[in-house]
Amino acid sequence: MSDLSNLRANLRVIFSAAEMALRSNLTDGFVFFGIVIQPTIIALLAFWMLRDQGNDAIIYVVIGSGMTGLWTMALFISGQAISGERWTGTLEMLVATPTPLYIVVIGKTLANVLQSLVAMVATYALAGLVFGVLPRILRPGMFTLSLFFAVISYISFGLIISPLFVLNPQVRRLQNGLEFPVYILGGFFFPIALLPGWTTPLSYILPPYWAARALHGASSGGAVSDILFAIGMMILFILIYGMITARLFQRILYKARVEATLVRQ
Amino acid sequence: MFRTLNTNIRIFLQGAYLSYVALFAWIQPAHYLATKVMGPFFYMIFFVLMGAYISGRNDASFYVIGNAMQAAALSGIYGVSMSIDGDRWGGTLIYLFGTPANRLALFLGRAFMHLLDGILGVIIGLVWGVLIFKLDLSQTNFLALALVITTTVFSTAGMGLMLGCLGLITRNVMLVNNTIFFLLLVFSGANVEVSSLPAWAQTISSMVPLTRGIAAARLVIDGQSLAMVWPLLQGEFLVGVIYAAIGFLMFRQFEIIAIRRGTLEAF
Repeated sequence: MSDLSNLRANLRVIFSAAEMALRSNLTDGFVFFGIVIQPTIIALLAFWMLRDQGNDAIIYVVIGSGMTGLWTMALFISGQAISGERWTGTLEMLVATPTPLYIVVIGKTLANVLQSLVAMVATYALAGLVFGVLPRILRPGMFTLSLFFAVISYISFGLIISPLFVLNPQVRRLQNGLEFPVYILGGFFFPIALLPGWTTPLSYILPPYWAARALHGASSGGAVSDILFAIGMMILFILIYGMITARLFQRILYKARVEATLVRQ
Repeated sequence: MFRTLNTNIRIFLQGAYLSYVALFAWIQPAHYLATKVMGPFFYMIFFVLMGAYISGRNDASFYVIGNAMQAAALSGIYGVSMSIDGDRWGGTLIYLFGTPANRLALFLGRAFMHLLDGILGVIIGLVWGVLIFKLDLSQTNFLALALVITTTVFSTAGMGLMLGCLGLITRNVMLVNNTIFFLLLVFSGANVEVSSLPAWAQTISSMVPLTRGIAAARLVIDGQSLAMVWPLLQGEFLVGVIYAAIGFLMFRQFEIIAIRRGTLEAF
């Protein structure tokens, strides 16, 4: 098969997997909770904390709340991208197909991340409802660019989490406790400067932190150089996480074949 | 009469123990630690910093006490409702409703262990507050605080009993539980002063568990006497009784409907 037809075939699988994931997520109450209910409740709480502050603070909350939806979905839904197939008994068939497993998981993660953007739309609409005026995005061009890379960086992050949970069931059991740490380290609602200095490197290795930094900067009219730097860091981590993901997927399949644990829970 | 009472007490205690053991048969210790120990630790830090940055309020104790008390809802709402709902998913509901056992003893027994677990959860939250945010307990009347915590956990368990009954007729009770838990973060006054909320939101606050318990806990930790917070405690207790009573009526009603329609285990 030529490179071009190979690419076309992989893209077809990515879009099919994404469509299936979207259809399946539509019936999942937790997905609705994660992308609509939870972010809007957190936003409502933050809006009531804000009281009479201006546009910058409101848009800061909108972005922060939207980011919580993205992370919650990455953790709970993208994180289960492989385990979910295991539970439904379809993992063996996916592994047996000529398409690499990670292509299918990319499709599923793409759907999860794209639908998580509903969280940002929902909190934006809520801001209009609470304050009677829609907050302005001061650098719309940079915001769009930041959002594009934020989506890709969340996909790369989701791709790491999914095999990690399969290889380390103990880590998956801590899933419930991992939601708020990233809200904190990602600087979704407050600058990480408020945290102790030793936590800063932890923030720096998290793509959600750079995504939040770029989106906060673009929405509130921050310096272009700072926004571009954050986008650059997202690209760097997309590459690094991509390489780690490739190794993790190899490891999963190797381990499954050697130990015959592909379908073991 | 004494025999009946003995039987009912046995049903209550056995039900309390077995439903708790059954719940944690599938929840691993790591899962418990993540939810009950790490969870409150991180969401306390999150809300303290968010409150400090967004509202400019530097009074960490406000958020620490509010969120430590909110931990009561983890056991009260999730634990209790999962214990009730668990009978349906575990396939034991049909046997449960087939017995002549006293329904009130069965029903309330589902909440008992979670009451103790919830008290432990609040204490863990307060310990985190003392260790990380230097919560000052030097003025606290600990007996009064213990009563406040117990009453608050009881009222959240009352709501949990009601929500658990919803789980008998719907497949998505976790969606309801998650939504209620997060709404409580807003309306209970854990993170925003109830008096600063819009009037309609204050009305909701007055009808949910935790609101009066959190207010009482803040006063007691600030050095107020038990007599001072007594009316708040009475209100909190009453809220719990009302939710538990609604829950029990629903439990009885759903049993009758399910038997009549043959939908006891229909999903």
